[in-house]
Amino acid sequence: MNFLSLFTRNLRQGPYTEPFPFAPAPTPKRFRGRIAFDAKSCEGCRLCEKVCPSGAIRFERTPEGMTFDCWHDTCVFCGTCEFYCPTKSVGQTDDWHLSHAQDQKFALVEHGLIPNQICAECGAKALATAPMTANVRPPYSAEEFEHARALCPKCRAKFLKSRRKS
Amino acid sequence: MTAGKSFTIPVGPLHVALEEPMYFRIDVQGETVNAVEINAGHVHRGVEYLTTKRTIYQDVVLTERICSLCSNSHPETFVMAAEQIAGIEIPERAAYLRVIAAEVKRVASHLFNVGILAHLTGYETLFMHAMQVREIVQDIKESVFGNRMDLGAICIGGARYDIDAEIAAYLTASLDKLAPEIDTLEQTYRTNRSILRRTKGVGVLTREEAIACGVVGPVARASGIDYDVRVAAPYAAYDRLKVPVPTLGDGDVWSRAMIRLIEVRHAIQLIRDCLRDLPDGPAHIHDRPDIPAGRAVTKCEAPRGELIYYLKTNGAPEPERVKWRVPSFMNWDALRFMFRGAKIADIAIIVNSIDPCVSCTER
Amino acid sequence: MRLPEDIAAQLRAAAPSGVDFSSETNPRGVTVAWAGLANREELTAVAKTMLALGARLSMISASLPPLPPEEDEEEEEQEGDGDAAAQSEAEPPAIPMTFGGTPIDGTSYEIDYHFDLGGDTLTVIAYVPSGGAVASLTPYFRTADWAEREMMENYAITIRDHPDPRRLFIDPAIDSAVLERLIPYSTLVNAASTKALWDKVVSGKGGAS
Repeated sequence: MNFLSLFTRNLRQGPYTEPFPFAPAPTPKRFRGRIAFDAKSCEGCRLCEKVCPSGAIRFERTPEGMTFDCWHDTCVFCGTCEFYCPTKSVGQTDDWHLSHAQDQKFALVEHGLIPNQICAECGAKALATAPMTANVRPPYSAEEFEHARALCPKCRAKFLKSRRKS
Repeated sequence: MTAGKSFTIPVGPLHVALEEPMYFRIDVQGETVNAVEINAGHVHRGVEYLTTKRTIYQDVVLTERICSLCSNSHPETFVMAAEQIAGIEIPERAAYLRVIAAEVKRVASHLFNVGILAHLTGYETLFMHAMQVREIVQDIKESVFGNRMDLGAICIGGARYDIDAEIAAYLTASLDKLAPEIDTLEQTYRTNRSILRRTKGVGVLTREEAIACGVVGPVARASGIDYDVRVAAPYAAYDRLKVPVPTLGDGDVWSRAMIRLIEVRHAIQLIRDCLRDLPDGPAHIHDRPDIPAGRAVTKCEAPRGELIYYLKTNGAPEPERVKWRVPSFMNWDALRFMFRGAKIADIAIIVNSIDPCVSCTER
Repeated sequence: MRLPEDIAAQLRAAAPSGVDFSSETNPRGVTVAWAGLANREELTAVAKTMLALGARLSMISASLPPLPPEEDEEEEEQEGDGDAAAQSEAEPPAIPMTFGGTPIDGTSYEIDYHFDLGGDTLTVIAYVPSGGAVASLTPYFRTADWAEREMMENYAITIRDHPDPRRLFIDPAIDSAVLERLIPYSTLVNAASTKALWDKVVSGKGGAS
C-alpha cells in the first residue's frame, strides 16, 4: 500500500470527517452523556451519592422534601450511579451538548425534588419516595405500589407485615 | 569530519514523539547518541494517594483514569485483586465480556502506536490511514461501551455492560470491516521501503538486555522473550481461549511494530471467539459485597505488557494501600540500551517503539 | 519455570531467622505466595536465591501500615501475618508485632518485593522499623532501581547502597517522604466538593467562582 494507492482511495472516498454542525453527528444509543434524574421513581436510597467517585451527586433535605443535584462539571460520566441504582431513576442520556462558557459553569446541574407528603394512614410528614421493592415477596401489584407510595416508612413496614400474614 | 565534542541536547518535555511530557537529556557526538538521562515527573498526579481517599468501589473508576489507552486494564486488574480478597467468583458470561473489552482496547492501542510510527518516519498518509482504520474501533467503543476511551466495562463482580443480539451483530460487522484493513496494514509495514529503512536494525534491545531490564509486553516479545500474562497466569476467560504468543528475535523498532500488528490480528480473532462462545447468564453478580481485610497481588496483560496490582485492605470501605506497576515502567530503563549508536533522527522513533505511557508510569 | 515445589524450604535456607510462608493456587493453576522475613538483613540472600531461580522482580510496594484499631473483646482481628498480642481490659494494650518483632504502631514500614516466576507471584516482605534501612536489590535486579528511588521519595526509608538515589518523580524542592505527610485533602485537590462550592451549585447561580 504505497502513497499513490492511498491517495487515489482517499480521493474517491472523500473526507471522513463528519460535517457537523452542518449535518447531524450520529450518536450511538449507548453514549454516556448528560445525567437525567426521575424523582418519581427514586426510592431515596442515596446509593448513587455513595458510589459516585467524584462527589458530583448530592442529596439534601430541605423544607420541601429531598433534593437531588448532580453537577456536570464534577461528573466524570462514568455511569456508576446508573449501574447501581435499583430503580434506574438516575441515568445517562446520550446528550453531549455540554460545552458552556465559564460564567455558566454552575448552571449545568441536573436538579430533582422528592417532595414531602402527609402519610395517608397516620398523618406523619414523610418523603414521597417510591416504595422499595427489593425484598417484597410476592411483588407489589400496581395498586399496592401506589398505595404504599402514599404511606410513611413506618406505615409501609406495617403494610408489608400485614400483607405477609394474609 | 571533526572528531567533535559532545553536546547535550534536551528532548522534551514538550515533544516531537509523545503526547505526554518526558524530559530527555541526550549527550550526542556529531549525530550519534552517546548517553541518555531521563528526568520524569511532569505528570505525577499522586493517584496512589488518591486511591486511599476513596472507597474501593469508587476506585474502580479512579483507576480507569490513570491512563486512557490502557484504561480498561487498570480497573480490570484492580477489581481482580478485590475479588481475590473477597473470594468473589464472577459469572462465566462476565469473564468473556471482560476479554472482549480488553481485546478491543488492545486493538485500538496498538493501532495508535503503529500509526504514530508512520508519522515519525514521515509517511503522513499512512499515519492518517492507520488512524482512520482505528476509527472503526473507536466507533465500536462508543457504540458498545458509551465512550471512546473510558469503557466503564468493569465492576466488582463482573462486567458492567452486556451484549445483546443487535450489539453482537454490530460488533461482528465492524470486525469484518476491520480485518482486511489490518491485513493490508501488516503487509505494508512488512514491505514498505520508507518504513523498513527507518526501523530495521534501529533501537536494538538484545534478549539478555531485555531479561536484565525486566521488560514485558511487545517490547519483550520482539526481543525473543516468550511471556504473555494471558498464557502464563490466565485470568478472565483466557484459559479457555486460544492465545497465540508471537515472538521475533531482532529486538528492533520494526520487530516491535510487527508484534503489535500481529497481536491486533490475534485480538480480532479472540473477540470473534468470545462472541461465538459467549455463555448465557448474568453479566455481573447481583449485590455490592464489602471487601474484607486481606491482601492480593494480581496481574493482567495490558496492551503494553504485564500490569501488576497490589491491594491491601483492612475491612474499611477505603483500601489501605493500592500499588501498581505499569509495563511502561521498565521500558524507560531499556531505552538506555536501545539508544546505543542511534542517530538523533532515530530518537523519536525509538521512544515511540516502546509505546510509552507516561501518565501510567508516573501516576 | 514456575514456583518450585520446595520454594518454602529454599527460602528458609536463605533466611534462617525465619520465613512466614503461605501460598495459594487458584483453579487456573496460578500460584500466589507470600513470604514474610523475620530479619530484613536476610533480604539479600533471598534475592540471590530468587535470581538463581530465574525470577523477575516485578514490583516493589512500600507502605506504612496504620495503627490497627482497638480490638473488640468479642472478636480477634487479623493483622497481616504474625502474632497479634492478646488484649485484655485490665492492662494497656500491647503493641502488635509483625513476624520477627517489628512493631505495627503506625511508624514501621512494610516493603513487599513482588517476584514473578513464569506467571506465579512470590511476594517477599521485609519489615522496616522507623529510621531503619534495607539493602538495595540493584546489584541483583536492575528493575529495583527506579522502584527503590520511588520508595525513597514516598517514605522515609533508607535504601543502603543504591547507585543513584535521586528523586524520581517528585521535584527536589518538595519535602521528602511525601506519602507520610498529612496534607488536608481539600488543599490537595483544590477543587471539587467543598461546601461553598456546592452552595453555588445548588443555588444555580452563574458566575465565575
